[in-house]
Amino acid sequence: MRNSLFHLPDELILATLSQTFPCREAQIRALATLLYPGAAPCRNLVIHGTEATGKSAITAALLARLADRTEDEGFILSHAIVNSAECITARHLYETVVSKVANALSWDGAPSRCETVSQLTVELVKLLKYTPRPAGFHFVLVFDGIDRQRDAPHTLVPALARLSEIISSLTTVFIVTSPPPRFLLTSSVPHLHFPTYTKTDFVSIVSASPPPALPNTSPQETADLWTRFTAAVHDALARAASRTLPSFHHACTALWPRFTAPVHAGTHSPREFSKLLIAARVHFQNERLLDPGVLTSTATATGSGAGTALATLLPTTPRLLLLASYLASHNATKHDITLFSTHYHGRRRRRGGGPSVGGRPRSKHRKIARKLLGSHAFVLERMLAIFAAVRGEWEAGNTRDHGDNKEEGHADIGMAIATLASLRLLVRVGGGATGDLMDCGGKWRVNVGWEVIRGLGRGIGVEVEDWLIE
Amino acid sequence: MDGNEDSGIFFEEDDHRAAYIFNADQPLSTQKQTPRPAKRRKVAKADAPRPHQDSSVELAFPPLFNGAEGSDAVRLRKQLYETAWPVLEDRIQHVLREANSNTLDEVTSFLQHAAEAETGKITAGFIITGPSIASQHLLFEQLGERLRTATRARFVRLRASEAPNLKAALKKIIQDATASGTDGEEVGDVEISHGGRKYLDYDLEALHVFLQQQQQQSPRVVVAFQDSEAFEGGLLTDLIALFHSWRDRIPFDLLFGIATSVELFQARLLKSTARQLYGAQFDVVQADSVLESVIKTAVAGSQAALRIGPSLLQSWVDRHRDQVAGIQVFISSLKYVYMCHFYADPLSVLLAGDGRLDRKLMQPEHIEAVRTLDSFKAQVEAAVEARQLNHAQSLLEDDDYLVAQILEQGQKRNEYLLRLLRSLHLVAATGLSSTSFTDLYILALSSGIDIDQSSGTVPLEDAVKRLRAEEFLSLINRLLMAVQTGSSDLGLDGWEPDAEELVGSLTDLRDEVDGLRERSKSNGTVLKSKYSAQSRVLRTTVVAQKVQLSQDTAIMTDEDKAFTKAVDALLDLLSENLNCGPIDNLFLHEAWVFDSKSPYRDVFVPCPDATFGRALSRPHDYLACACCAKANGGLASTLPTTAILYHLYLEAGALINVADLWSAYYALVGEESEPGLDERSALVCFYRGLAELRMMGFVKQSRKKADHVAKLKWLF
Repeated sequence: MRNSLFHLPDELILATLSQTFPCREAQIRALATLLYPGAAPCRNLVIHGTEATGKSAITAALLARLADRTEDEGFILSHAIVNSAECITARHLYETVVSKVANALSWDGAPSRCETVSQLTVELVKLLKYTPRPAGFHFVLVFDGIDRQRDAPHTLVPALARLSEIISSLTTVFIVTSPPPRFLLTSSVPHLHFPTYTKTDFVSIVSASPPPALPNTSPQETADLWTRFTAAVHDALARAASRTLPSFHHACTALWPRFTAPVHAGTHSPREFSKLLIAARVHFQNERLLDPGVLTSTATATGSGAGTALATLLPTTPRLLLLASYLASHNATKHDITLFSTHYHGRRRRRGGGPSVGGRPRSKHRKIARKLLGSHAFVLERMLAIFAAVRGEWEAGNTRDHGDNKEEGHADIGMAIATLASLRLLVRVGGGATGDLMDCGGKWRVNVGWEVIRGLGRGIGVEVEDWLIE
Repeated sequence: MDGNEDSGIFFEEDDHRAAYIFNADQPLSTQKQTPRPAKRRKVAKADAPRPHQDSSVELAFPPLFNGAEGSDAVRLRKQLYETAWPVLEDRIQHVLREANSNTLDEVTSFLQHAAEAETGKITAGFIITGPSIASQHLLFEQLGERLRTATRARFVRLRASEAPNLKAALKKIIQDATASGTDGEEVGDVEISHGGRKYLDYDLEALHVFLQQQQQQSPRVVVAFQDSEAFEGGLLTDLIALFHSWRDRIPFDLLFGIATSVELFQARLLKSTARQLYGAQFDVVQADSVLESVIKTAVAGSQAALRIGPSLLQSWVDRHRDQVAGIQVFISSLKYVYMCHFYADPLSVLLAGDGRLDRKLMQPEHIEAVRTLDSFKAQVEAAVEARQLNHAQSLLEDDDYLVAQILEQGQKRNEYLLRLLRSLHLVAATGLSSTSFTDLYILALSSGIDIDQSSGTVPLEDAVKRLRAEEFLSLINRLLMAVQTGSSDLGLDGWEPDAEELVGSLTDLRDEVDGLRERSKSNGTVLKSKYSAQSRVLRTTVVAQKVQLSQDTAIMTDEDKAFTKAVDALLDLLSENLNCGPIDNLFLHEAWVFDSKSPYRDVFVPCPDATFGRALSRPHDYLACACCAKANGGLASTLPTTAILYHLYLEAGALINVADLWSAYYALVGEESEPGLDERSALVCFYRGLAELRMMGFVKQSRKKADHVAKLKWLF
């Protein structure tokens, strides 16, 4: 039935696809041209674009439909899609490729082991080239997210790109986020870019699926409101921060109940869009929508930060140890005597507020506050010394007297340190990370931030700020 | 040491001492008496019950009193231990499992709902377990059982140590998920193959194929990360991304055991990964309340054979509060105390009730031991003061009389404990005291229960006086209920038949006050007592520029007066019933109360640093050698080399020049001094001592300066 050298696949396929994936018509047509054996099939094809632009979904859908429909046009098109995210090692990738190709061809021989690219080539050649295939046979092999493949040898992608040179009936498709120039190491590979959606795209996609109608309104009114609403959400949130379709969709569905609360209450009608917008202005400014967190009900997380939660969970000694570690991590060693020693001054000199009171002119190099820098490593012995120094004072205001506890407790302190380490609140750094836990020469680092520590300190009535020297 | 050889005992006195004193000067003949070294014999005993011993008396416990204890008594002690502890252990396990049941229900129903709801995300349950890692184990074990039966899901439990990387984690997941269905029939590698294809052992395709072959209704796979903090953040991210990508073929649910907080957990994940999860947070019952119920059951409950003394119990509770010592530590402490008591205290046989303890068992040594007890002394002194001279004399001199007294004590002990528990239960039932049960129990043991306001330990008097009529009635109802039902936690049955008098008077009071209330209601006044009126109504009136306090008693009605009387009656009744002496008032309480901190502390809270420091600075304390006695913690040339170096080390700065150290050492022990070592042997000693210091972690090679060592320990 091949009348001419070039003809596009059935218009019906492309039209239905364009309906399922709106705003992607150009890409669908280009992809169909480059994959359809009757049009302009290429050997290698690179599809690139950022996250959530429909690359994988459109490729899979198009291939599935083409494979269904091509037989009566004189072509046999099979395909296999390998998702690199599911392949743990390169070997896993090769074996998955072979088994998927064998599945697609209904091959019933037992596949053999496949540890290198050359073995992969041998297997594929066996499957695709040496087995006689009818005329018009074509195979499309899709590597989805091949740039994220774990443990990939650096020759992996160029080698895969050579496959189609060896096997003439093969088209290899690489779906990547952003291809570096010439990463296939072959010439003239067609690249197909899936651009991010524009505002009109976003709005038209999301408004294609309006929510159920509001009370006292017709579905049409609700749909109109939803369209205007999505545009507003895009301007408020999506333009600046959440640029992918899923997060935009999430923001819309999360905001919709709050936005339409006045309609539910009956105070506004759905036609009064600007009034509704003003009423819901606070929610549009709330950036927590962009980072929803792992817990479903955001309502439960009222004000109780990590610091207070941790403070209730940890017993007293580990709490103090954690605070002492923070001080050890964030104070320079040279200030230790000033902060923790009572030897020269009757009262310890603390620096709560502003920078140097003494008259020395400020040096030209302005330092970044240590609090803002990451935590520094400290020697365990130093932290224990700080712990011993601050313990008496901090505990005095807090709990009953610990008169007999001074002497005891090295095993308990060791256990507390081990617990903090296993909770990753303290981490060992340096080469000796496998060594003895209580080796006093080992170096450690505190692994919690300022907010948590401040909450923890306030929980036992200590203002950690007072104990830090910038 | 005397009785060791002839009676086939396999422990020596020295085995249980804190430090072994090696005495090189001991004549060889005494060492010859023991044919094999002690340590080897101990190991052989632990390995297997010796065949040649089976015929003779099987004694796991050594006879005490230097071996003079009769074998019957030893066996009784062992028997007592073996009956006392397992009962308690079962109860504790029961309590712990009960404590988790709420969480289990919540998690199960959450997962069941999640299976129905369809979102594009992975369901994740975050179980906040608290920092005690040991208790997570039981919870996740129970979760596994529950989920397997309730939701027919495949449950995989991952611990960080079992899953160091992605491959190992996946392998474990696939193995466990495929093995759990076969119920251990094929324990080995379940070979999953499909069309002749063998899967890599980290290929989730294998799991997918397996689940399809099983054709179950709901082949959900629940993966539980038991200690999620210990996992690498990257590994978690990888796993979650992988599960998410397989979500359309294998329905994964995740559970995370979190010791800190969900926020900290989330901070360790990538944002894009965190977005693939949605979940709910579950809080396990707080460790404090678990501790309280364990104490109720296992320490205070009527089934506890051995009583833990107040100061020891207080130190346990404090330790639980201040340190990361979870409930497991508490339980093993309890077990250790049981073991210590029955193993090492010959008087623990006195705990035996129901006729197992008789005159034959009581050896002269037992009687002598009883006469050394403090409580014996107190008993005799009390008898003398009460002018019961005959009684005191018989106690001191007549063995048979004393034994009869001892045998009576079992009954008295039971009476005391019953009274103590009933009083405690009633105090708790009043709901007027804000102290927790644990504190109350400790207080009752140490200083008894007395509700007197000024001098008592549980001052309830004011609270009772301030009661209004309705509260008064409900208090009486609560008390009656408490008497009727008892407490299952404490193992206390209702004691209504025993307390007819109390019940009768309480019922009378209730009826009376009920009637009073009815009457005053019909009169249109509110029933009040003398006490409540005084405390609440303070009426001041200004008449002719003078402040007058109006007299409240003047307006008290007859009903009010009757109510006041009823309150007084209740107070009397309560102070009569809620009354109990401290535990060490009892004669022979040492036999069934364990209140010594020392073996417990040595075993559970050792302080190696202090021990090292003492051994090095005052070696005489351990070695007891004649030469160092006069050093008294100072520096002396006769000390062992390491100790001398340690003293020098204490005086040095952060970096120690080894040559200086050597010359200081040699000046001390060299040829001019008392030991008079020549240079070669002094150098050998010096090197060895320095190497020992390094082994103990005091110094290390410094990179900053050649020929220097760095000082590592500053705190002692």
